Amino acid sequence: MVRSTGSATTRREFLIRSAATAAGAFLSIGLPALGSIAAAQPMAGFTPSIWFTLTPDGKVTMHIVKAEMGQHIGTALAQIIAEELEVKWEDVRLDSPLESVENFAIYGLAYTVNSGSVTTEFDRLSRAGAAGRIALIEAGAQVLGAKESDCTASNSRVTESVSGRSVSYGEIIQKVKIDRKFAYPEDFKTIKLKASGTYNIVGKSMPALDIPTKVTGQAKYGIDVFLPNMVYGAVVIPRTRYGSRVVSIDDSEARNIPGFVRAVKVDDSIGKCTGWVVALAERFPAAVKAAQALKVQVDPGPYAGIDTSVLFEEYSQTIKNDAAGANWVLEGDIDKSLAGAEKVLEIEYTTDMVCHATMEPLNATVHVVDGAWHVYTGTQSTSFARMTLTAYLSKVLGQKPEEIKIYVHESVLGGGFGGKQDYDEILAAAYCAKEVGRPVKLIQTRESTFATSFPRTPTYHKLKAGLKNGQLVAMDHDICCGWMGPRFSVGKKYGTDWLQLDSWDAKKEDIDQWSIGGSDHWYDIENRRVRAFDSDRTTWAVQASALRTVSNSYNMFVVESFMDEVAHALNRDPLEFRLALLNGKGSARGIPNAGYEPGTPSDYYMDRLWISLPWPNDNSWPMYQSTTVGGALRLANCLRVAAGRAGWRAKKLSPNTGMGIAVSSAEERQSPTWVAGIAEVTVDPQAGTYKINRLTIAMDPGTVINPLNAKSQIQGAALWGLSQVMAERLTLKAGAFEQSNFHDYSPIRLADVPPIDVELIDSGHHPSGVGEPASTVVAPAVANAIYDAVGVRVRHMPITAEAVLAGLRKKT
Amino acid sequence: MPNLTINGQSYFADAPPDTPLLWVIREDLRLTGTKYGCGVGLCGSCTVHIDGHAVRSCAVTVGSVEGALITTIEGLSPTGLHPVQQAWIEHQVPQCGYCQSGQIMQAAALLSQNSNLSEQQIVDGMNGNLCRCATYSRIVGAVRRAAEIMNRAAEITHEGASHG
Repeated sequence: MVRSTGSATTRREFLIRSAATAAGAFLSIGLPALGSIAAAQPMAGFTPSIWFTLTPDGKVTMHIVKAEMGQHIGTALAQIIAEELEVKWEDVRLDSPLESVENFAIYGLAYTVNSGSVTTEFDRLSRAGAAGRIALIEAGAQVLGAKESDCTASNSRVTESVSGRSVSYGEIIQKVKIDRKFAYPEDFKTIKLKASGTYNIVGKSMPALDIPTKVTGQAKYGIDVFLPNMVYGAVVIPRTRYGSRVVSIDDSEARNIPGFVRAVKVDDSIGKCTGWVVALAERFPAAVKAAQALKVQVDPGPYAGIDTSVLFEEYSQTIKNDAAGANWVLEGDIDKSLAGAEKVLEIEYTTDMVCHATMEPLNATVHVVDGAWHVYTGTQSTSFARMTLTAYLSKVLGQKPEEIKIYVHESVLGGGFGGKQDYDEILAAAYCAKEVGRPVKLIQTRESTFATSFPRTPTYHKLKAGLKNGQLVAMDHDICCGWMGPRFSVGKKYGTDWLQLDSWDAKKEDIDQWSIGGSDHWYDIENRRVRAFDSDRTTWAVQASALRTVSNSYNMFVVESFMDEVAHALNRDPLEFRLALLNGKGSARGIPNAGYEPGTPSDYYMDRLWISLPWPNDNSWPMYQSTTVGGALRLANCLRVAAGRAGWRAKKLSPNTGMGIAVSSAEERQSPTWVAGIAEVTVDPQAGTYKINRLTIAMDPGTVINPLNAKSQIQGAALWGLSQVMAERLTLKAGAFEQSNFHDYSPIRLADVPPIDVELIDSGHHPSGVGEPASTVVAPAVANAIYDAVGVRVRHMPITAEAVLAGLRKKT
Repeated sequence: MPNLTINGQSYFADAPPDTPLLWVIREDLRLTGTKYGCGVGLCGSCTVHIDGHAVRSCAVTVGSVEGALITTIEGLSPTGLHPVQQAWIEHQVPQCGYCQSGQIMQAAALLSQNSNLSEQQIVDGMNGNLCRCATYSRIVGAVRRAAEIMNRAAEITHEGASHG
């Protein structure tokens, strides 16, 4: 019997071998000779790169390091490899490597964010697949006694074209010992990849490989893990979101609850899980009851007096202090151009907090086996989970980090959206496991999931537009919000700047790009400035974090609302006005031939990107930045397509109905997915409520890997954006979030869903992400449509009926 | 100790009678397809069938369902290809998938009562089930498709009966 490689030992042996590869030596291909195949001995299989293994049964297992959280990323990455490997789609399987120190050395950082997976993996996985194909053709030719040059590969077979004789991949690796080395990067670089338009698997709507188990209930999420003798943990809702300290715990009432084990005050000495107490019990319902019964005395800490309104007030003051701002975008001369303008518009916008509210509440299970810590959870970064837990246990146990052995077992995630890249549950479960000496499954209730969530920061914006000769000649944008970087010790003042962009001006100040990005839009405006102001208090008080498209989710609302206001101030049509500025000139040209010089932020960024293996430092390689090819012209094209499909200024509209436009280039300036959105909205002038009649989205993500799934992602993202503008709002009161479950934090439901028309433009360029960007255009398109319908401008997100009504009353 | 009938099998639930049915299904019987989402009947992730009706299992106690016939996603179809499940695959509905057991159970109960649902009836019937990935557009299409499969199967059975 032939078995696929499954044992950890086999994998590790291979991986260790490949570690040298990753460091820059060779991708080696090693196969056992035919004679070594034995029923009792697991087959090593054919593993020409770390990314997949071909086994003698002809199946190919793709090793997926990206988190599966609804984007069907495994399917997309497998399509990329399968295309060049010429493997039959039915032969494809997926698995995900265990996270450990050893595997980290092989696979690099396992981190799934920023809609970046396909973008960063496309080229390298294509080449890995092609290398495998080349080796299999050589070996297949040997089996057939044919010339390599007469052989081709397709459908998991190598065929001699003249005779038509063929042999399957499975047979090849049973019969021939392959020992083929590809020099990295030289040989990899010379591999000729298929051209866009000649694909057989890429660009086809392959059914997602993770869907079948998701309709039968068989898919296993982190919350579905069971271990022998485990105890359940429930978190006592902390007095404040952050910074409270447990003084005492009275468990006298909890002890009356059958199955109660004990209460654990979680060690919060590294500044995580502050003020956490976990109730442990033999059953989860008992743990929940016990958590409610525990009487915990706390020192509420430094943030106990903070409401959202206090933060907004702080921002409006901070922004008045020029010295506090750091330049993020600086082109032309902003002061001079504003001074010389015929008219200056000055407008303020604000956005509220929102949170991820993933359907799977936060949870983690930790088990200590022979001194090794096994973590079971669904996380966006098994690597950071391991590193964070290492740092924590090192402190708690007083051991050196290298003495702590941790394995993170990834499961599928019940939603991510940026909300599963903090690790508090893991730390708390590990601490409890240490205390109680048993495996601990910690499940946050929905209420404690809300109470301990990591939301998008509140934001405050002040913009100025300089108008002259019917044109926008200057745009100035000040942003104040909580920066997420400091929470992860990212920033020069923390000694780690690996995710930070230098600002564009000579001061080279420290800016958290993840809190500011999106404001560096692709409109060609002669004089531009964006200044970033941070609120350290917000960062810590609310534990600001990344939420689907990160800062784009508020900055595009602001930029695109503002562009609309400027268009109206100039008496220009919002479509025509935008198209004129999306001319692909200047810094909006894109790369190659972009406005950036070598050594400026785009290159800087590329070097520091979370590309998990080193790329050769060679600009001739197609890389992440190549998603910017075409620049703003591709964005203009999306806008024309969306406008045409929506019937902009052509369709007959009902009374109190309008259309609004928005464009976006999320995620980052260096990794844009070009997208335009149009909302058609009818406002009830009596109630201020509004109804979305239709959303039109046109997106150019370059090469489309899986159209059906891409459309699914775009539809979901568009509705995510709609939910943010219509329904979601998280508020802080006395240092704690006010919302606790889906009655007071209520995302949109089926009844709120309008028809969504999605046009996917496969432009053949390097692919960029499709999971998030569409969410950014909906909120501003709705805001602009409300203005188009009834002349009311709402400058705050979410847009409530009260705000629309107030605007209507002010008008009359 | 409540006696439960779940997916045709009998169980003694070794849990206090006030324990939510959800936790007995998930943690004791390890039928983990039924998901915990909110605990208070607001999201629908834990939907099961009780005597053929879609019910939020987080909001009923084990003590209250003694003698009832309970079906979870695992028991919906012996092949895992109930018309709703078929339609869900055809339309590639799930993204993260966490809410989908509940969506499928809700849709199956809805269609078992009426397989000629209007658009509005589908929206009304499914509106209680939250999907954070917002797969809503596809849910509506898949419910319609499932109805088609069920009605077609019914026609075939009917034809078979009348001709045979």
